Amino acid sequence: MQWGFYFDQTRCIGCHTCVIACNDWHDIEEASANWRIIKCVERGKFPNIFVAYLSNSCNHCSVPSCALACPVGAITKRSEDGIVVVNRETCLGRGDCKTLCKKACPYDAPRFAEDVDAKMQKCDLCLSRLKENKEPICVEACPMRALDAGPLDELERKHGKKRDAEGFAYSIKLKPSIIFKSK
Amino acid sequence: MKDSNNSTKEKQSKLRNDIVTSSCPHDCGGRCVLNVHVHEGKIVRIESDNGEEPQIRACLRGRAYRQRVYAPDRLKFPLKRQGTRGDGRFKRISWHEALDIIASKLKRIKEKYGSSAILYIGYAGSIGCLLHNKRAVARLLNIFGGFTATWGSASAEGSHFSSKITYGTSYTGNSRDDLINSRLIILWGFNPAATIQTLNTNLNISKAKEKGAKIISVDPRFTDSAATFAHKWIPIKPGTDVAMLLAMAYVIINEHLLDQKFLDTYTIGFDRFKEYILGSEDGIIKTPEWAEAITGVAAINIEDLAREYANSKPAALKMGFAPGRTAYGEQAHRAAAVLAAMTGNIGIKGGNAAGHGWVPIGFIQRNGQFPGLPEGNNPIKEKIHISKLWDAVLKGRAGGYPADIKLLYVTNANPLNQFPNINKGVRAFNKLNFIVTHEQFMTATARYSDIVLPINTHLERNDIIRPWGFGAYYIYQKRVIDSLYESKSDLDICCELATRLGIDNYSDKSEDEWLRELFRLSEDISRDVSNYDTFREKGLHKIKVDKPIITFQRQIKDPENHPFPTPSGKIEIYSQQLANLNNPRLPPIPKYIKPWEGSNDTLANKYPLQLITTHFRSRTHSIFDNIKWLKQVEPHAIWINVADAKERGIKNGDSVLVFNDRGSLTIRVKVTERIMPSVVCIPEGAWFKPNKQGVDKGGSPNILFKDEHSPCGAFCSNTCLVQVAEHFQEE
Repeated sequence: MQWGFYFDQTRCIGCHTCVIACNDWHDIEEASANWRIIKCVERGKFPNIFVAYLSNSCNHCSVPSCALACPVGAITKRSEDGIVVVNRETCLGRGDCKTLCKKACPYDAPRFAEDVDAKMQKCDLCLSRLKENKEPICVEACPMRALDAGPLDELERKHGKKRDAEGFAYSIKLKPSIIFKSK
Repeated sequence: MKDSNNSTKEKQSKLRNDIVTSSCPHDCGGRCVLNVHVHEGKIVRIESDNGEEPQIRACLRGRAYRQRVYAPDRLKFPLKRQGTRGDGRFKRISWHEALDIIASKLKRIKEKYGSSAILYIGYAGSIGCLLHNKRAVARLLNIFGGFTATWGSASAEGSHFSSKITYGTSYTGNSRDDLINSRLIILWGFNPAATIQTLNTNLNISKAKEKGAKIISVDPRFTDSAATFAHKWIPIKPGTDVAMLLAMAYVIINEHLLDQKFLDTYTIGFDRFKEYILGSEDGIIKTPEWAEAITGVAAINIEDLAREYANSKPAALKMGFAPGRTAYGEQAHRAAAVLAAMTGNIGIKGGNAAGHGWVPIGFIQRNGQFPGLPEGNNPIKEKIHISKLWDAVLKGRAGGYPADIKLLYVTNANPLNQFPNINKGVRAFNKLNFIVTHEQFMTATARYSDIVLPINTHLERNDIIRPWGFGAYYIYQKRVIDSLYESKSDLDICCELATRLGIDNYSDKSEDEWLRELFRLSEDISRDVSNYDTFREKGLHKIKVDKPIITFQRQIKDPENHPFPTPSGKIEIYSQQLANLNNPRLPPIPKYIKPWEGSNDTLANKYPLQLITTHFRSRTHSIFDNIKWLKQVEPHAIWINVADAKERGIKNGDSVLVFNDRGSLTIRVKVTERIMPSVVCIPEGAWFKPNKQGVDKGGSPNILFKDEHSPCGAFCSNTCLVQVAEHFQEE
């Protein structure tokens, strides 16, 4: 089974509630370590303008390039749900490995705090909450109900199969586990 | 707080915390559920509503509250000023000494100058709760002999005034779940994406769009609401809304699109309005071409919108409060209500009276007051408008004001930062004899005070709170943790001051006894919530509402038996009350009145950019400007159009100087196509931090604003002319 996210880009108002809820739940202090990121796409000329927001975190790829890049095997993909997790005990830290996982990821999902020996951290789909049958905190927090999480086949049945959105390019090689309603 | 290095074991244990329900008490547009996790007396996490629908989900600010409670710059002890006012040098003193000083100053000033020399500014820092708010000090000062009070709302005086004149009430709105019944929704100066604007407003607009409603945004900016919801954006020059609305009325009259039966049955004075529109009063026909020259909106766009609005019944013309926050802004709200009447969109599903928009649920204001801690009676009746306070302090009775102010008492407010003309404010503060401020942080107001007292947050006290605007719920805000450091509540402080002032009837109740009493006295809460103790344990009380609430439905269905609460019993397009004032600045029908500091003012030759100040999603007014998580969200910046930036040699991300004759500030710039040319926008609420030359490095726009209110008392925080220039860092 593969778990993943759904994001309805037509609903997102760019409010950042998902980001702050994630920071609070996971005790993330520094912006450089935020697991979830909001990207704003702006284009056009006054007065014909297009703006879209993208809320994204780790997409728990079928082929996780971060895990392949890690020199010590600290990043693994769980067989039972496909969630990609990092072992922070074995991670070398940003100073020692020069953030190879981060460089390998097109979605900027591996995150590091600013100190030199900061260990990698990233979205784990709120594993501890899933165990208690709770939704990931970002999903539960979104005031617009623009986020969902679950087994990918279920999400596809509920929300369709669209794999890209404004500001997000689907990688055929990595197969990120996220579907969209794009703007 | 720890980094996520926490061991798994500790994280697991955090899942089994006590969870206590509370809510934010700030004036943000929401009043949302905070389910606060506490572990060994410390807040470790905050969740929000995940219970039955409709859920009351907190925004990013509520979610970040843990960082506000434990912020390193929380005020911990009473402080006494050491240096000159504003230089920030304070020393820690005991509560005993602080309260002795305040009591002796209050007594001395009252004795020497009378009670009117005491100015009390209590505002919306904590609002909507029954007990802990600005009333604690008002009650104390009233018993002590009274004080000079303020009038005017920085928020929505324009729309309140207009609704009270036109409809006889501010309760003019349909509940938000009715939006899905609209065919057309016009968001006019309305950006709920940044401000919540009561329970699930944004979600309901999205659902309406998904169901097929067309959505149009009229706004100087392509806001996040415009970006997310609108099919079409019509940029308009600030402060000119009324001209466009009048021209829409012209099109509807001229093309016979109006609902004459509705006007005949439910309104008075339409003929007078029509005469004005057709030019028989002033010789000017209010055509789209006339409005184009004022508003910057092409005549064809005005015509199209008028036709679309008249032909898309039911249509919701949703006015934000922003148009009213301009010179003569009340006229826009009056005109919008006339359009709603002309199209018969009042009192029906999917319509909107285009009024202030409160819905009679969740709280009911009685006699202009929200039920809460009794304030008592203030023998001093003459009040000063919040825009004129600094002028009043500087000029006093000699300048025509009702009092010579000597002492300033501030709670639940940051007036130096948030009221217009900060430099005049600084001069006023420097003239005062004594200033005391209750605060949680060293705000600009606190920094210019003589004594600063540390106040606990709402998570450190018990209270009961109503929804912000409306919503079918109440929240018991149960104390989550003990008061941090030496902080106290306003009420506790007043109890101790009362003793020192020789007052023995200030309070005979504990916090819980007060809350039980106020619960009993609150007609809405005691009606909807059966048992205080159950409520106290449960925290959140939702009221079952089976269908959307349509305000004025009875008046429309059965006008004989249900008049509007106006003097005539009708919707007053022409108001005799206003006619009686005989004030050309407050005419009996809505009119265009040329504003000060508009784009066609001669001052625009020197200061060609119109400045507006909007809400910022990471702040509630000036609250939260020091919170790390929220500072990361978006940099505080001035929006300027690409063409205006190019003309000035300004690049995105630069620091720029914004100035006029009243003051100057420096701020980062966002060069964008999302704002119309000749308009710039600075979000309100950034903390005033002047350098030695008096240039505000914090970017608080109020340093630029004229301290003048509109005739009805509205705050003109969208009326200001400035210039923007490249700024070379001198430090």
